[in-house]
Amino acid sequence: MIERRVVVTNRLGLHARAAARLVRTATGYKSALRLERADGTAAADAKSILSVLMLAASRGTELRAVAEGADEKEAMNAVCDLFVNGFGENES
Amino acid sequence: MSKRRKETGTEARWHGLGVSDGVVVGRVLRVFSGTRQAYRATLNEKDVERETRRLRAAVRLARRQLLAIKARAEKELGADHAYIFDAHLLMLEDRKLLEDVERQIQEERVNAEWAVKVAADRLLAIYAEIKDDYLRERGSDIEDVTQRLLVALSGEGPDNRNLTEDAIIVAEDLLPSAVAELDFEHARAIATDAGGWTSHTAIIARGLGIPAIVGLRDLHRHARTGDTIVVDAQQGIAILHPSSSTLKQYEALTAEALGKRQAVAEDFGKPLHTLDGKEIVLRANVELPAEYEGVRRFGARGIGLYRTEFLLSHKGAMPSEDEQCEAYVEVAQLAGEDGATIRLFDLGGDKVVGAGPENERNPALGLRAIRFSLTHADVLRTQASAILRAAKRGRLDVVLPMISDVMDVRRVRRVFNEERARLEGEGKQTGRVRIGAMIEVPAAVMTADKIAQEVDFFSLGTNDLVQYLLAVDRGNEGVADWFRSLHPAVLQSIHRTLDAARKAFIPAVVCGEMASTPAYVAVLIGLGATDLSMTASSIPRVRHTIEGIKFADAQEIARECLECETANDVEELVRVRFSEKWPQLFPPKSLPARRSAE
Repeated sequence: MIERRVVVTNRLGLHARAAARLVRTATGYKSALRLERADGTAAADAKSILSVLMLAASRGTELRAVAEGADEKEAMNAVCDLFVNGFGENES
Repeated sequence: MSKRRKETGTEARWHGLGVSDGVVVGRVLRVFSGTRQAYRATLNEKDVERETRRLRAAVRLARRQLLAIKARAEKELGADHAYIFDAHLLMLEDRKLLEDVERQIQEERVNAEWAVKVAADRLLAIYAEIKDDYLRERGSDIEDVTQRLLVALSGEGPDNRNLTEDAIIVAEDLLPSAVAELDFEHARAIATDAGGWTSHTAIIARGLGIPAIVGLRDLHRHARTGDTIVVDAQQGIAILHPSSSTLKQYEALTAEALGKRQAVAEDFGKPLHTLDGKEIVLRANVELPAEYEGVRRFGARGIGLYRTEFLLSHKGAMPSEDEQCEAYVEVAQLAGEDGATIRLFDLGGDKVVGAGPENERNPALGLRAIRFSLTHADVLRTQASAILRAAKRGRLDVVLPMISDVMDVRRVRRVFNEERARLEGEGKQTGRVRIGAMIEVPAAVMTADKIAQEVDFFSLGTNDLVQYLLAVDRGNEGVADWFRSLHPAVLQSIHRTLDAARKAFIPAVVCGEMASTPAYVAVLIGLGATDLSMTASSIPRVRHTIEGIKFADAQEIARECLECETANDVEELVRVRFSEKWPQLFPPKSLPARRSAE
């Protein structure tokens, strides 16, 4: 099991499109992927869009990503890349 | 707006905002945008498994529908509108939702419909608690998805599959999925309770050239599928159960309009002249790919205004240079030898992620349009390179929005020159583009003669010109009485601008709402406009007007208008002179409405 901290940087937070990208990415891996609010108030299965949206993670929210499984490293990297790149919304 | 009129007999009228012109008589097709009722039934033990299978079949059906909608939305509306369907797909496939529904069926032994409803209500309750506005609104997506599932369970197709020849879509509001799914070939008109000028409904209806009225408050609740309805978008009126006299009146009107349209259709290819031989050019304004079809269908002489904001995905990323280049090439090819005029991004900080102040106190006067592009140099450079590259593959011009000072023009020109040098240095080919200025700010009108020395053409944006000149926000109903397109100041500004262009020997295109309204067109032509750009579907109507008037007469009336003291005086003059000069072209309802006396 590996764990990493990520911050939501895109302006609208984990809204429908960002959440859709996250879920599409996460479901591409075998490992289980969980996102938890750093303040411990909510946790979500990264493979469920309904669950991800319910994190209500707006811009600036700190999250803990937890991956566990055969391809946990790859899965973690892919998901963290999305956060770092602001879900492709900050590029111009 | 949208005041419910008293019912006279069974005829009932609703007032709303006409967002796409035309008059149609047809039959109501009610489209549900929400609330399909589900009832509870208890199952026998042996039926539980069958019910689960029925649910899974419905999920598969809904999934196929969504995939089709998504593909269609991507093609016709762009990625901007399509991403939401990917979210819908994921919701439909979400294990959390499906496991919850199946558990309901198995443990509570209820029918699939009820199980879907219970699971959806539970989710919606959780969403309703979310503090973030935007995320809380995602509840409507969950409703959209669960409604689709309920329809799939009922064994019916989507509501709008069975469109008859004269179907008029009546809905509370059209959800994105419903809009993308409509069989537009058969829809004759759209009438919705909610929505505004920029709603999906409005944009798509204008693109297709079918009439649409929005903001009808509670029409949907009173209408039944199959009811006769009149949609008069010119006046913003929907009439349910029209009386025989109303019907006769409208049928005569639509027959006449149809006759006119067909008569004009034959001449689409030919150059257009007034009765006394003045040539007038009509071009198309486009934004969405859904509008491209109309450009060909209505015989536009090229594209007079291409609004590039559409290329920006939902509140987000700037399109890359390659993406932009492809889009511009497509527009150039659509426009053909007459060419297309690309307007640089008319954006404010509110539309772009991470770009400047998000809460300007006065966005209409803020960092927007050309000011935004000049401030965000990378945005301007990317767009300039994309246009220069695309211009190699088709005829393109560029117009700069919200010019208030010649300096803005010079700075943009410098960027275009630098980008051209850079591209050529990299061995990439570029094409020639002419650079024009949008004249829509009073300062630009006042200095039009100076600006004309430094640009290749003018585009008159009448909507913003009226707004800035009269200091009236056209989205604000409270000041609607002050928004007067025929205000003497507006006419003098247009006259002055056209004059400056003529003296500098540069062309001037008038684009904006005024150019698509026949009565205004006659005034514009009188003021000296010879090149108009409008929503493609307005072209036949405007063409018909121009073919029926003499330039000399229009000029004479326009001269009198310029002498008027008030907007009321101009409107009265237009009413009187137009109806005596061209009674067949301008029936009373096509002229500015008489205002109550002051």
